Amino acid sequence: MTEFLAKPGVKNLHNKGEKLITTHCSYCGMQCGMHIRVSERTGEIKGVEPRYDWPVTLGKLCPKGVTAYQQIDHPDRIKRPLIKKKGKFVESSWEEALSLIERKFTEIQGKHGKDALSVFGGVSMTNEKCYLVGKYARVALGTRFIDYNGRFCMSSAAGGFMKTFGLDRGSTLPWTELEHSDCFLMAGSNTAECHPTSIQMFWKARDKGAKMIVIDPRETPTARIADVHLDLKPGTDSALANGLLHLIIKEGYVDQEYVDERCNNFEELKASVEEFTPEHTASITGVAPEKIIKAAHIYGRSPRSVVMFARGAEQQSKGVDNVTLYSSLALLRGQIGKFASGVATFTGQGNGQGGREHGQKSDLLPGYRKLTDPEAVKYISKVWGIAPEEMPKPGVSAYEMFDEIHNGTIKAMHVICSNPAVSSPNVEYIWEGFKKLDFLVVNDFFLSETAEFADVVLPTTTWAEDEGTTTNLEGRVIRIRKAIEPLHESKTDWQILSEIAARLGRGKYFPYKNPREIFEEFRIATKGGKADYSGITYERIDKEDGVFWPCPSEDHPGTPTMFKESFGTPDGKANLPAVGWEEPGEVPTKEFPLRLTTGRVVFHYLSGNQTRRIDFLKDQCPEPYAEMHPELASQYNMSDGEMIRLSTPRSTMELEVKLTKATRKDIVFVPYHWGKELSVNKLTNPSLDPVSRMPEFKVCSVKIEKL
Amino acid sequence: MNKIMYLEFERCIGCRACQAACRECGDHDAKERNYVEHVDFMESRQTFPMMCMQCKDPACARVCPANAIQITEEGVVLSASEEKCIGCRNCTFGCPFGIPKFDFEANKMYKCDMCYDRSKHDIAPMCASVCPSDAIRFIDFDEMQSLRRRRTQLNLVEGKKPTEQDKWKYVPEFFGVYSD
Repeated sequence: MTEFLAKPGVKNLHNKGEKLITTHCSYCGMQCGMHIRVSERTGEIKGVEPRYDWPVTLGKLCPKGVTAYQQIDHPDRIKRPLIKKKGKFVESSWEEALSLIERKFTEIQGKHGKDALSVFGGVSMTNEKCYLVGKYARVALGTRFIDYNGRFCMSSAAGGFMKTFGLDRGSTLPWTELEHSDCFLMAGSNTAECHPTSIQMFWKARDKGAKMIVIDPRETPTARIADVHLDLKPGTDSALANGLLHLIIKEGYVDQEYVDERCNNFEELKASVEEFTPEHTASITGVAPEKIIKAAHIYGRSPRSVVMFARGAEQQSKGVDNVTLYSSLALLRGQIGKFASGVATFTGQGNGQGGREHGQKSDLLPGYRKLTDPEAVKYISKVWGIAPEEMPKPGVSAYEMFDEIHNGTIKAMHVICSNPAVSSPNVEYIWEGFKKLDFLVVNDFFLSETAEFADVVLPTTTWAEDEGTTTNLEGRVIRIRKAIEPLHESKTDWQILSEIAARLGRGKYFPYKNPREIFEEFRIATKGGKADYSGITYERIDKEDGVFWPCPSEDHPGTPTMFKESFGTPDGKANLPAVGWEEPGEVPTKEFPLRLTTGRVVFHYLSGNQTRRIDFLKDQCPEPYAEMHPELASQYNMSDGEMIRLSTPRSTMELEVKLTKATRKDIVFVPYHWGKELSVNKLTNPSLDPVSRMPEFKVCSVKIEKL
Repeated sequence: MNKIMYLEFERCIGCRACQAACRECGDHDAKERNYVEHVDFMESRQTFPMMCMQCKDPACARVCPANAIQITEEGVVLSASEEKCIGCRNCTFGCPFGIPKFDFEANKMYKCDMCYDRSKHDIAPMCASVCPSDAIRFIDFDEMQSLRRRRTQLNLVEGKKPTEQDKWKYVPEFFGVYSD
């Protein structure tokens, strides 16, 4: 098998005594192409070499990507299984750790029933592993309580797409087309910091005259280059989207033929946006009416436009509404299913797309099948070799699993590839939950804040010590290659899950010798589902620079552009929403008069468990801070660099102030990548979206005090 | 070397990938030799990258009493040779752009060498390879000329007059800089 892929004529620096292993970055959904440099003699990781010929990212990397390889042979790696004895972690053998897990799991399920165990998954791992986590929970443990960290990331986008298009693929178009678009409308995305390598596509389009409309409370590096920056109050996206829809309809920018032919519910939408005049919208959102009008005209006049959104719009208690409303801007303009136009969400996690399709969600089975659909249960049960009656029923969402812990329903948890002790809202509640558990197992390669609560920590491999596939934010299925053998005593997640399954007497359902065998089973499991991967093979991925799902057979070319003829709904038509605006879960009060919003910085990834350990990244941004406008600061007699206390109805924390005029005057922004006392998620509001169960990370009410 | 280093400051998104990548270059001893600065964070999030522009008659080399800074046949101004550098820091004071850095532990200067092991083979230096926003590029002369012409066109449309500033006469042919 070729490990190094390069197209003819592409020059890479190939040092003597080193080989290059072609793969992708471990971090966000861009999944930037890279080669990892490995010493031929010792097998050690030497560094990174740009992959100039990967068509999506062209060799570009952000600082996280450049330093990603430094995770692999990092001194903080967990080398052997850890068992907590008298409150302290003691290194142990795999035999001892797995025996303990076997004994505890059996004991707890014997005493409290199958559903006393739970699984908390993650999507920063390959499709093979994500698929197996779902199977592990349902077949090996037999519990209905499984959910994953995508609930804190992509679930509103998924919910919105399902509602509107009947199918959830994060991007309706391949991103190599973006440079040909005429207009980007981006809501709640600081893509320059959160998906930095995407910015080249926007610059290329802008060099040809494309316009950018950015919707964000802060003048981020993305908003800075926008033609119109709609600086809305956090939590008012649905009002702004309704306001833009109002103008698109009023000014005659609707592609009526497209709407009549391909969309339901236009009259209802028209009626519901009626009240959102620019003045009314401005009064809710705090954006000047002229800017809303200007944005609507730019967007309405652009022949090819792409509507994009990210966590800013999605991580709200109205996240699904926001997604459906922004998506319908593209529908009204007749943009979906055409060249260089459409709708896309910026997938946060490396495999946020693939990982959510294949059964880690409490109500989904592989191939985006519904657990509530008896046919789906029948099919997957057959693939797995179990009786349909054995299939557990749907469970609850990620945050709600902690309610079940507090209720005493869930007694033990297995956390795989996730760090909810940092990434959940209202984390003190989560910490209490972990303490209440009888038994907690965590798979990780660094001792995360979650792992610190564990009874057993199992050392897993990093992404470069295993092979498999991921699905990037376009929906393109790509290959991750193994650069080195697992270090220390670490094992891959799929090996660990298979071994636990074997100890619980379910080994015959997990007979895998390598990831490719899992992939082959997984292909069959997805066959006929909405997210159909059955025509994709490792060889095709190499040959074709990745394959876009759905791909129902090996002679099917894959589907770079979605919804060319019809949508994924039963009647093939897109459903336009008709939803008004509602206040976020928490509004400013006399006691908590300001709005707090949270987000990312370019130097860190998610809960920071990986990036906070990389010297370069840590040096650039060692601690969180409270960013605000100097006018707000002066009302509290505060200056740059001073310490303040932030309080919300849930908790308080102390932070340094960082002042900039490039933000709204009535908000405080804090990045969320840190744990314990530095975790802004102590403050955030667990108000959940009714459909996606996404917590409202992006808005809550806050009080500032100078220290 | 048939390529040109080309900077477009306003494209910079401040991600510092160029600095992380600079540390990755084989000869760079895991120390970055380039800079990314905020213009004024209080006013705006605009940042800009800066690196050695490989002067034609480089002040750093001229003021080096030990002749430690060598210039390649292509005109790349190399980092001081380890054996020769006496740690006097003349170069760090002499450079009009403040580019050379100083390692106080090793008592040696170090500076950008345009990743000479890459650029001599026309492979882009690490900073230009990874820069996500194309603020730093390693491109053909013709491509640079067309980019500059395009800029001039846009400036004319927007009513700005293109200006020639004297400081760029120090910059050699294989290093292009565009600035308003």
